[in-house]
Amino acid sequence: MAKRIVIVGGGIGGTTVANRIRRALEPEVASGQVQIQLVDREGVHAYQPGYLMVVFEKMRPEETRRDESQLLHRSIQLVKAEVEKVDPAANKLVLKGGKDLPYDVLVIASGSALHPELVPGFAEGAQSFYDLSNALRLRSALHAFQGGRVVVSVAGMPYKCPVAPLEVTFMLDDYLRGRGLREKTEIHYTYPIPKVFGIDTVAQPMQRLMGERGVTVHVPFNVDKIDPAAKTIKAVEGETLAYDLLIAIPPHRGADFVGVSALGDKGNWIPTDKFSLLAEGKQNVFVLGDATNIPISKAGSTADYEAEVVTQNVAALARGEAPTARYEGRVYCWIMTGLAQATYIKFDYLHPPHPPTPSFAHYWNKVIYNRTYWDLTARALF
Amino acid sequence: MSGYDGMSEAVTDEAAGGRRTVVDARGSWCPGPLMELVRVIREEPVGTEFDLLSSDEGSRKDVPMWLEKAGHELVRMTSQDGYDRYVIRKKHE
Repeated sequence: MAKRIVIVGGGIGGTTVANRIRRALEPEVASGQVQIQLVDREGVHAYQPGYLMVVFEKMRPEETRRDESQLLHRSIQLVKAEVEKVDPAANKLVLKGGKDLPYDVLVIASGSALHPELVPGFAEGAQSFYDLSNALRLRSALHAFQGGRVVVSVAGMPYKCPVAPLEVTFMLDDYLRGRGLREKTEIHYTYPIPKVFGIDTVAQPMQRLMGERGVTVHVPFNVDKIDPAAKTIKAVEGETLAYDLLIAIPPHRGADFVGVSALGDKGNWIPTDKFSLLAEGKQNVFVLGDATNIPISKAGSTADYEAEVVTQNVAALARGEAPTARYEGRVYCWIMTGLAQATYIKFDYLHPPHPPTPSFAHYWNKVIYNRTYWDLTARALF
Repeated sequence: MSGYDGMSEAVTDEAAGGRRTVVDARGSWCPGPLMELVRVIREEPVGTEFDLLSSDEGSRKDVPMWLEKAGHELVRMTSQDGYDRYVIRKKHE
């Protein structure tokens, strides 16, 4: 009987790891010894970094979405279904509707879910850009904006794309200057810890840049509640800020089925070995991307680098070998510091990032990546 | 890095006289221990003492700074066996 490799999640991590595993096991897949299935609820793949670009009219909404079936190699079976739970003792997934999906090796790439309801007043009072409909709503709000006080706030940690609040702040500053509204606008930035970003070597230059751009920083600021009627945001530390436009990052949690399966911690993040990427206590369940509890950025590039390691380890298991590949904590993210300039951070478990001076050239690299993502990363053609 | 609120464990012990909550955030990296403290301190009544255990060096700066801003009391901090113990008292809602 064929070995069954099942991947949960059709985001960047699940899609690229499925295509890479297929290539690593090409002879076995072609001969029917190995079968690869990917389970995704909607069968639509979203390029989430594009949402910020949509807000500032640098990408069109349709450029952020493709059918998952167009991205997966034809020999990978796409199962459009929602996972009810994982049953590791029986090596099977239970899908909503009651169908079972057995596996020999499981890869969980179920990402993170947005939970604005965890902050009172968030849904009514805050704009966001972490899904396409909210990005379009914020785009409209900016179009109508004529000046006032903007507050950019992070309403819970961890959250995906840790640099996104920095980026939206700098892009907003540039956007308002272009429209002649910057002098009529105050920009305030709040963050839950006593600095503007979690990594010191990034926080320092970013805070300096905020000073140069006239952004007022409020840290530490842990959001307690939002009052949509009064247009205020209150911190547990006691500070209250009034706003005309609030752009906030909602709290995140892991996928619901992780909790139902008792696989995760309190936030539904799955305890994962940070080197092998095996779920703790499991020998045939790998986890990558946002779904892990590994203390590293929840970002697309993290999932991409982790996919290389998971591919090696899944291929080894499928061939009866020991999984020896190690994830060393590699991450690479661009940081937009304006509408047409960027810097980047590149780091791993042992080496912190040192972002270079922002430039047009770094921005251009980001634009090229946005355009080549579908082939370069999702289809993993190169 | 982002914080990882689920890596720690909070245990409340009322039998020991006075309300005391242990927040074991060892193994959680910056700013995980601080995020865990922020979460747990909101759930307990005024007067509760917390034992925050952290193996992250960044906590030595972040935790006292946050307590000062938030208006809660750092009763004492001690180091032992590769981690630090922060005894904290909740001063207000």
